[in-house]
Amino acid sequence: MTIRRVLIANRGEIAVRVIRACQMLGIETVLATSEADREAMPAQLADRAVCIGAARSTDSYLNYRAIVTAAKATGCDAVHPGYGFLSEKPELADACASEGLIFVGPTGDHMRKMGNKIAARTLAHEAGVPTLPGSEKIGSAADAVEVAERIGYPVMLKAAAGGGGRGMKVIYDRSKLPDAFAAASAEAGSAFGDPTLYLERFIANARHIEVQLLGDKFGNVIHIGERDCSLQRRHQKVVEEAPAPGITETLRQEICKAAVGLARNIGYENAGTCEFIYDEDAKTFYFLEMNTRIQVEHPVSETITGIDLVQEQFRIAAGERLRFQQSDIVFRGHAVECRVNAEIPEQGFRPNAGLIQTWAPPMGPNIRLDTHCYPGYTVPIFYDSMLAKLIVYGSTRTEAIERMRRALELFTISGVGTTIPFLHFMMGRAEFIGGKVSTHLIDHVMPDFLSASRPAAEYSSRTQPLAVLEKR
Amino acid sequence: MSDGLSELKEEDVERLVRLIESLESSTFDYLHLEVGNLKVTIGKGAAPMSAPAVTAPDASAYVSPPPPAPVAAAPPAIETTLAGKHAADAAPAGTIEIKSQIMGMFYAQPEPGSPPFVSVGTEVKEDMTVCLIEVMKTFNAMTAGVKGVISEICVENAQLVEYGQVLFRVRPS
Repeated sequence: MTIRRVLIANRGEIAVRVIRACQMLGIETVLATSEADREAMPAQLADRAVCIGAARSTDSYLNYRAIVTAAKATGCDAVHPGYGFLSEKPELADACASEGLIFVGPTGDHMRKMGNKIAARTLAHEAGVPTLPGSEKIGSAADAVEVAERIGYPVMLKAAAGGGGRGMKVIYDRSKLPDAFAAASAEAGSAFGDPTLYLERFIANARHIEVQLLGDKFGNVIHIGERDCSLQRRHQKVVEEAPAPGITETLRQEICKAAVGLARNIGYENAGTCEFIYDEDAKTFYFLEMNTRIQVEHPVSETITGIDLVQEQFRIAAGERLRFQQSDIVFRGHAVECRVNAEIPEQGFRPNAGLIQTWAPPMGPNIRLDTHCYPGYTVPIFYDSMLAKLIVYGSTRTEAIERMRRALELFTISGVGTTIPFLHFMMGRAEFIGGKVSTHLIDHVMPDFLSASRPAAEYSSRTQPLAVLEKR
Repeated sequence: MSDGLSELKEEDVERLVRLIESLESSTFDYLHLEVGNLKVTIGKGAAPMSAPAVTAPDASAYVSPPPPAPVAAAPPAIETTLAGKHAADAAPAGTIEIKSQIMGMFYAQPEPGSPPFVSVGTEVKEDMTVCLIEVMKTFNAMTAGVKGVISEICVENAQLVEYGQVLFRVRPS
């Protein structure tokens, strides 16, 4: 089984990223694109682009029938879903399987197993992976109160079909629970079409640590180390790094071993990520969920191991055995990734589409930029606001953070407001530099950012002293 | 074929051009003409050959024009084309484009063997079906959305058409 031509069912930087991997592997690329993206960078880099529908993603990137039809009609033998959109929808993986196309990812069954968070919790428990004290399924507010009394407040209500923070509520005392239950249930119902909730203990001083996994079709599963993604805003990751700072080697090995055990238990194939919540006070970790796709933040793991995870996805999908054993994976140095979004941080991170007039990214050793943007590109209003991922490497964490700070200063974008000023601010915060990361750090430092923040125009002029310095 | 063409005088070529023009404005898809040992076949739209076929006097092997039946669906093109290039042909002035509302396989007729929904010269009304677009065994009927006469069929039967691709050109009435 070989892959000669692949249809890429995605857009933006990840479409570019997948095309780059194909170029290295000698695989031809067909890009499924929406009308809004037909002139965008991925469409120009792909060997062929097929416009599969209107700009709205429900009419294009979420239409698995159109994607399978386009793949078949253009002679593709495989489909790569990227992340988001249909990447974790069993419908596309199943349709590919029944149409004789290789899906570059896990099977539809793997997605179904891990897609329902209650079922995933049970699987984790069966694999001996610690789960947060809590319940399977909460039927009513009265049930919720009973479970909460047992495990102790604060507790968190979560949606069984959930993701992205919707349908999630933290409850600190009994009186608030009935209202929160009703609200979370309604939110989950409208967001995911399934109002089912479950309840877990809420960890106040939490970090988000996740493990990158690779599994082949022969039952081999290895990990490519862990990442810390604690810097989040509204449950969306903002800064990621590898390895996770400030944890003991023993703990690191335990977390990675737990992730591998869970994936091996379900015969997981291709790239995936096991997410954990780490209780900084109790120094314990708990299973959160498993993501059955390549993730946005995969480059930090690539940077410290030298492994091209997207290329490995193709090799695994084509039926090859893993090319590495666990002992072959060598971790070296430290990598940090910042997500540069078209959002105005001073205005509550308001998304900000429009024409990019200046696009002058930083370059140089140990700086990587994954992007689909260029000067003159118009950021469409229909999709998420991510413009680029800036990834830097340093032999130590301190060196990586310092390089990131400089790189952000040298990154000049005009035309659309970006999160660069905020990212730059974070890189200079003592908590972050000291490795004192938590999922609440951004909320905690936000008032300081807002009081210290200057107008965007003033920020871009801040690169000028550096230019003077270079001329000397 | 080039040998045959070189035997044609300039006025023969002019006559052929006139024939092509009159076919273009007619309601016919094909013209097959035999005068002595000269055989000429001119086709349009979903033709077996994309360009009008001209056969020279020595075309003894040429029995009859191939029926306007579906061309054996070509294996998916190995050569790659760039996005949006299909729309590069400039539309003749005064025509309206009928664009595909969805991406899928284009079918000119309701089922194999039956006549096409429309041909060049067919008069269409807004709600008249002009083709089918198939997406994973689901056939979607597309209507003209405009009143007029089909002046050009821009795609071939059983071809993948993109969202927004020009399928027909219509001279409005």
